[in-house]
Amino acid sequence: MELIRAKSKPVQADRASIMHALSPILLFVALYLLLEVIIRTAGISRTVLPTPTGILSETIRNFGSDLWPHFVFTLKVVVIGFVVATILGMTLAALFSQYDLIVKAVSPFIILLVVTPMITIVPLFMLWLGFDPNIRILVVILQAAPIIMLNTLSGFTSVETEKLELMRSMGASRLQTFFKLILPNAMPQVFTGIKLGCIFSTIGAISADFVGGSVGLGFRILQYSGLVMTEMTYGTIIIVALIGIMLYQLVSFVEGRVIVWRKK
Amino acid sequence: MSKVIMRVNALSKSFSQKAAELRVLNQISMDIHESEFICVIGPSGCGKSTFLKCVGGIQPPTTGTIELDGVTHERGIPSHVLGKFGFVFQSNNLLPWRTAEKNLRLMLEVLKVKEFDWDQRIDEMLQIVGLAQYKDVYPHELSGGMRQRVGIARALVHNPEILLMDQPFGALDAITRKMLSYEMLSIWRQTKKTIIMVTNNVEEALLLANRIFIFSPLPGEIISEIEVDIPLEERGQDIAGHKRYIELRTLINQVIRQGHAAEARRQAT
Repeated sequence: MELIRAKSKPVQADRASIMHALSPILLFVALYLLLEVIIRTAGISRTVLPTPTGILSETIRNFGSDLWPHFVFTLKVVVIGFVVATILGMTLAALFSQYDLIVKAVSPFIILLVVTPMITIVPLFMLWLGFDPNIRILVVILQAAPIIMLNTLSGFTSVETEKLELMRSMGASRLQTFFKLILPNAMPQVFTGIKLGCIFSTIGAISADFVGGSVGLGFRILQYSGLVMTEMTYGTIIIVALIGIMLYQLVSFVEGRVIVWRKK
Repeated sequence: MSKVIMRVNALSKSFSQKAAELRVLNQISMDIHESEFICVIGPSGCGKSTFLKCVGGIQPPTTGTIELDGVTHERGIPSHVLGKFGFVFQSNNLLPWRTAEKNLRLMLEVLKVKEFDWDQRIDEMLQIVGLAQYKDVYPHELSGGMRQRVGIARALVHNPEILLMDQPFGALDAITRKMLSYEMLSIWRQTKKTIIMVTNNVEEALLLANRIFIFSPLPGEIISEIEVDIPLEERGQDIAGHKRYIELRTLINQVIRQGHAAEARRQAT
């Protein structure tokens, strides 16, 4: 009997996979050195483009004293907003998917929410809800939940007829069909939605900072550039990016654990 | 003859298509006895798959009744009696995120089976289809023939009364197809299940069935019922040379051709 399963990889393949893992780090080091050398030899002003070493040392020096509370605040806004958006997006998608008519009715509205930059609504939020900076969590939820919902919903509604017939042939209940077929079947699309949700959460949090208030990494970026503290401006932008990357990697890791089968 | 396990009575099925009604099945009636192996054969698109889906409770018939163990069901088979059936699909229809063993387990989970020990029963069924050592393997790691065997094991795992098979070997290559049909014969001998199999392959039907129903082109009607009077012991690898086999094959091909000819005449007028 034939079994297609490649367990033992040749040694060359192992070496290749190490190279694959190392390649981004090598590229980073190369870019770092290249920028450092070019900026120094060309004598570019540090207010326009500071050296990587300058950014790194300034950011490390100011991180604990100056940036820390803003970092914690933004991290809190992004993480809480993202988690709530994921739960909310998936739950609403699960409920909507039960009725074709509702799916048809809400789809245009979900797309409307996805394409609207929530920064445009922040002034209204302040008008309705006051100036509490925690309102930004709401902005993140509104920015991230629709994209998660859109992808999850498309996963929930695109099940092969044959698979549904299989469940019907067993006399499966609605609940059984959802948890044993529809949900696991949609997992690849659900994770695509959640990964986009990571990106949208970071965008939502920083853009909310830009509108007003006196806390958050977005607010700090505006302040630093106003004070011509260019190293810190770049440093904070990089920290924001790192929050996004960290979240994305975390979700990718979970995805790899959940989806162990290969989709055709 | 043993007792009647299922009685299909004047079963018809129509689909509404753009205002017009398309009749797919017309007045199908048949009695099925315990431990019979029935084959339904007919040209493609004759409604034979729809017939099996109506019998298996996947689609409700438009009119007609199905009597099962003495109980008459009017509007299709209700879901609480579907445990009496095991359905084998044309493409294996396994869930890709479940291993072979977990795919069998799905059936027991949905039906909430309490009669026997699950692990032992699953092992037994995988043994019958010759896949005992592939328990923890995912469908994408199995060949097409092996996947279909898991599909057959899944349809048997809850110990149904009737096995319904919708062109189970249709998606396989010719060699695997032949091998698996011999295997099906031995599975039938071992389990003594009542089986209704839809196929478009005359040789397959003659190897396996004790009765063959031939369907006409759309709308599907039974145009002929053929008793395959070849004893079980004489069915095997060398059945192709059997005198009665050759006679019946000629007869069935003739009936199918005539059905086509009648259909062509009807369309011409």
